[in-house]
Amino acid sequence: MFDYWLTMLILFPMLGAILAFMMGSRTNWARAIAVAFSAIPLVITLFLFTQFNMGGGMQFEEQYVWISTALGDKAFTIYWSLGVDGLSLPMVLLTTLVTFIAVVFSWDVSKRGSQYFALLLAMNAGVMGVFMSMDYFLFYIFWEFTLIPMFFLIAIWGGPRKAYSSIKFFIYTHVASLAMLLSIFALFFEASTGNFLMKDIAQVAPNIAKDLQLMIFAGLFIGFAVKMPVVPFHTWLPDAHVEAPTAGSVLLAAVMLKMGAYGLIRIALPNLPVAALEFQMFMFAIAAISIVYATFACLAQTDLKKMVAFSSVGHMGFVMLGIATLTPLGLTAASFQMFAHGLITAVLFMACGVIQHSAGTREIPLLGGLAQKMPNLSAFMMIGFMASLGLPSLVGFVSEFATFLATYQAFGMLVWVVLISVPLTAAYHLWAMQRSIFGPLTDKIDTSHLYDVHWYEAAALGTMCLLLLVFGVFPGLIWDYFSPYANELADLISSFASCMGVI
Amino acid sequence: MDILQYAWLIPLLPVLGFIIIGFFGGRMKEGGAPVAIIAAASACVLSIWVGIEILLRDLATPDEAFVMQTTWLQLTDDLTIEFGIYLDNLTAMMLIFVSILIFLIFVYSIGYMHEEGARKRRYYAEVCLFATGMFGLVVASNYLEMFIFWEIMGLCSYLLIGFWNHRPSAASAAKKAFLVTRVGDVMLMTGIIILFIEFGDLNYTHLFDRAIVDPSMGTLPWDNLQIAMLLIFGGAIGKSAQFPLHDWLPDAMEGPTTVSALIHAATMVKGGVYLVARSFPLYVQVPDVLLVIAIIGGVTAIFAASMALNNMNIKRVLAYSTISQLAYMMLALGAGGYAFYYLGYADGYSASTFHMFNHAFFKALLFLCAGSVIHAVGTEDMRKMGGLSRKMKVTSIAMLVAALSISGIPPFSGFWSKDEVLASVWNAAEANSMFYLLWALGAITAFMTAFYMFRLWFMTFAGEEGEACKHAHESPASMAGPLVVLAVFAFSSGFALFIGDGFLSRIFFGHAHDITSMELLGEIFTDWKTYLSVGLAVAGIVLAYYMYVKRSVNVDNVITSPGGAKVYKTLQQRYYFPQAFDGIGLKVIYPVAKVVDYFDKNGIDGIVNGVSGSITGFGRRLSKAQTGNVHNYAAVVIAGLSVILILAYLVGGL
Amino acid sequence: MIPIEYFLGFAAILFVIGAYGVMTAKNGIVVLMSVEIMLNAANMNFITFSSFFNDSRGQAFALISMAIAAAEVAVGLAILLNLYKSRGTTDIDEVNIMRW
Repeated sequence: MFDYWLTMLILFPMLGAILAFMMGSRTNWARAIAVAFSAIPLVITLFLFTQFNMGGGMQFEEQYVWISTALGDKAFTIYWSLGVDGLSLPMVLLTTLVTFIAVVFSWDVSKRGSQYFALLLAMNAGVMGVFMSMDYFLFYIFWEFTLIPMFFLIAIWGGPRKAYSSIKFFIYTHVASLAMLLSIFALFFEASTGNFLMKDIAQVAPNIAKDLQLMIFAGLFIGFAVKMPVVPFHTWLPDAHVEAPTAGSVLLAAVMLKMGAYGLIRIALPNLPVAALEFQMFMFAIAAISIVYATFACLAQTDLKKMVAFSSVGHMGFVMLGIATLTPLGLTAASFQMFAHGLITAVLFMACGVIQHSAGTREIPLLGGLAQKMPNLSAFMMIGFMASLGLPSLVGFVSEFATFLATYQAFGMLVWVVLISVPLTAAYHLWAMQRSIFGPLTDKIDTSHLYDVHWYEAAALGTMCLLLLVFGVFPGLIWDYFSPYANELADLISSFASCMGVI
Repeated sequence: MDILQYAWLIPLLPVLGFIIIGFFGGRMKEGGAPVAIIAAASACVLSIWVGIEILLRDLATPDEAFVMQTTWLQLTDDLTIEFGIYLDNLTAMMLIFVSILIFLIFVYSIGYMHEEGARKRRYYAEVCLFATGMFGLVVASNYLEMFIFWEIMGLCSYLLIGFWNHRPSAASAAKKAFLVTRVGDVMLMTGIIILFIEFGDLNYTHLFDRAIVDPSMGTLPWDNLQIAMLLIFGGAIGKSAQFPLHDWLPDAMEGPTTVSALIHAATMVKGGVYLVARSFPLYVQVPDVLLVIAIIGGVTAIFAASMALNNMNIKRVLAYSTISQLAYMMLALGAGGYAFYYLGYADGYSASTFHMFNHAFFKALLFLCAGSVIHAVGTEDMRKMGGLSRKMKVTSIAMLVAALSISGIPPFSGFWSKDEVLASVWNAAEANSMFYLLWALGAITAFMTAFYMFRLWFMTFAGEEGEACKHAHESPASMAGPLVVLAVFAFSSGFALFIGDGFLSRIFFGHAHDITSMELLGEIFTDWKTYLSVGLAVAGIVLAYYMYVKRSVNVDNVITSPGGAKVYKTLQQRYYFPQAFDGIGLKVIYPVAKVVDYFDKNGIDGIVNGVSGSITGFGRRLSKAQTGNVHNYAAVVIAGLSVILILAYLVGGL
Repeated sequence: MIPIEYFLGFAAILFVIGAYGVMTAKNGIVVLMSVEIMLNAANMNFITFSSFFNDSRGQAFALISMAIAAAEVAVGLAILLNLYKSRGTTDIDEVNIMRW
């Protein structure tokens, strides 16, 4: 049996990135390489799904000593340690899938094409590393590595305020990562396992004293909350999205934001259950504020893409809400929402991208009646919007319903705080559609050059829309992967809850 | 072969039609209409077959439903969502009338939508999807499944109201319909969530068994049940356009008339009533909620009818009428449940579902006739119509049948059910005298209904030829055919009361009326209330005749008097509900959104930019220390060295 | 035998003279010469301690430092020569384009 699948998943995109970069001005070659080297990981991931033993914990593990050294009189080892379980495998699928879609969508990128594709692939490799690393040091390296391609994607191919946005994105998330790094070190030293392996540290960490847990949790929380992002740490996101090129936005929203939520579920909660219980109401409050705040902010936006960016903040608020319940249902719902949001937001950003290319603007007041000239785009956009507002039979509903269910289970009637957002979410989506694609054809911009989706845009959007439907009708396909991990985690936390109750 | 096992095919057939038309409709005749009709016809045959099979079962176990389920999603170890079918007598009745109407209206659409060109593909695809939603709603076996189809219908309603979405009014009406019903949907979803968590299951069988079988009733968390049932009724309010979420339905008339007939009269808006009827075993545990339902029903009935009195748009009059009739059904359900809780019988349940059955036919017929008229004259304004009965014989007679039926003139179908509705409300008054008031509201509504219905008929078909009627002609056979069929139904569907052992003995809650048809007839025609309501209806018709045909009753001086003008304007402005909704949106929510946006840009992002600004500012100031002058550097080096040495001497004892 | 304090005192005085020269002189060449004086003060200390502790490593250091001083002067003078060619002056107060 071949044992290096996960390493392959990182190496292939990385290799592709290098090759694509070397193509220089031969964009067609770079594109072919990008398509191939983003398709291979996708195929490998699908193959891994067939081999995966559901509920079997960590699988396809690889572990090699990478750095072995000493710190003072203590020896410590850093491993190249990879593995996937029910939580990370769907995330890996999301990453490979969305990267492939983003590459296809960027078919005719004209400016510095080879570098563009190279960065997309590098991004892919980095995010995969985050989702598969089983060693904190490796995790952190990949975590920070993802900033670099995204920074260049925004800074080179971005819009008019690209310098401001890219630097804001980089520094904001980087500073937050440092808080996370401090907490990781604290975990390492407190656990004194002599290595950074997640599984070893997780054995010891839950028993760390409560005060220290709270501090470590706070550091991790800052790192992850900024990445997700939740209000009030969200302001880098709309700026980054507005300036980023479409494929960059897609990767940023669909994949990169998930790293934050993944970190909370994978690192913060299982290692620091006592602190998680202490932070429960705080997390609920943050989540509720994010959801309601983002909904109102969406209503006020005039830039279609900025509206979609704010809707991401709201949706990640749902993830936070699910996490805050600390129940099996809530944690599974949060994981599923991560997956669902990845698919939905990719459609939304691609639709915005097509409008930008075709109409030359994304300002809603300047648009109108696009459905007459762009019927296919309008259909795709409507499917995306409907999924985003939580229409049953599309994927967004399942996670939304499950999250509300879990919220009622955990917090009772407090669920009303969040429920206000549901009609308002529908309101801003429908209002935006009414003003941009319905009504009489706009006369504020030159509409003679409006074109409907190109074939590659249609392929990318169509695939994603189909998946919205597939996972909406058969949510069990992904849900069942998440639930074993969520059950285990919730059990761990509740065991500590009962301990706290006794003391 | 047991046909019931294949009932799940009913919602599946239209979805196949949707997929085929969606992908290939553009290349087909009439944008895929044949596919839609085949799908509807096969679903119709299957529905009727299944429905009859269910209705003719041995009545020893009338409450027993045929259930078939499979796991859809295992949420957690103890929360499972199932998908499946739940067939009982109520389902059977719904299946029968829904499938017949869907089929007839699809056929009618061929003629009505003929001139729409490439858009026809979208139309047929969307109505097929709608049919899926409606059938799914009816056969669903648990609340979540029901909710999913409920929302699919909502989506189709949105899409079809906005069928001519290049018109700003249509796009706006579609949005309004979706949003207003969405408010109800949120309540419904919350109700479902509460039920799910408190009872651990959403399947009808499980919930109803616990509610009915458990005689102690002490094991259910009643407070939560009460809240949940109230919230579920909130969903019904939105979907069935009851006060105060009624305002989307008149606007929904922006869609094609076929859509109005199918979705906004005959089927989807019945969803709310069906939901309450379906949940009846749970509702009868919470009488306070039933009282709320009855009051909302009674108020909405007269409230909506009043707005129909002076409206000039033929479709909007029908829309108000729909709201008003749906309110009748709600009223009867509330009264029936209330009576069941305190008195032990629920005749309102049968009355309501019976009225729903009849109303579906005559209201669809009214809309299709209106569509036929609109098709002929090209306007919806009744002031431009008149004298059409000479040119459109079939339409005018069909519409007359429907109008007589809705007015409650015996022996037309509406009479039988409306009489049952009012009787059930009267009976409930034994438990709470509030129902006398509600009965009075219902009786006045009956008068108003007859008046505005005949006002509509007279303005359209009688009198002098209107300005828009010069080139009017009878509609093609594909449109007139369904009208005739529906007219037969609209006339005769009330006799369901007398077929075999009758409607009441088949679709009931608790125990059936244990009387023969003859006894029932006697009961109806020996009651003074029957004569009162028929008398009121006839009075309404006569008043309309004198006002709009003879013109011997002139109300102009009433309307132009200061008080009258105010009332007239209030009715025309729909009690200022549209303004209120716009006000909430534009004057409350949008400004809040603006404030949030401002706070985001200047508050939160201000802090972020402020932090980065102060750091770069500090750096800029510090950089001034770099003078470029070597002497300064040397001085700093030596000064620093000196300080270190002195410190080392003082502190470290060097 | 002369006590060690005399040597160290002499070196300190030399160092201070050099430092004073570095800080006050305007002419770059004078600055360079002052730096040389400071270096020689350091060398003085090396040699003193080498002699008093009978350890020849100090003398080796002094030799190394002289070689480095020579190299430094070569570079320094070259810079000054170029400065004079381009600016027409060796006054280092006028050369401050390397500021913020």
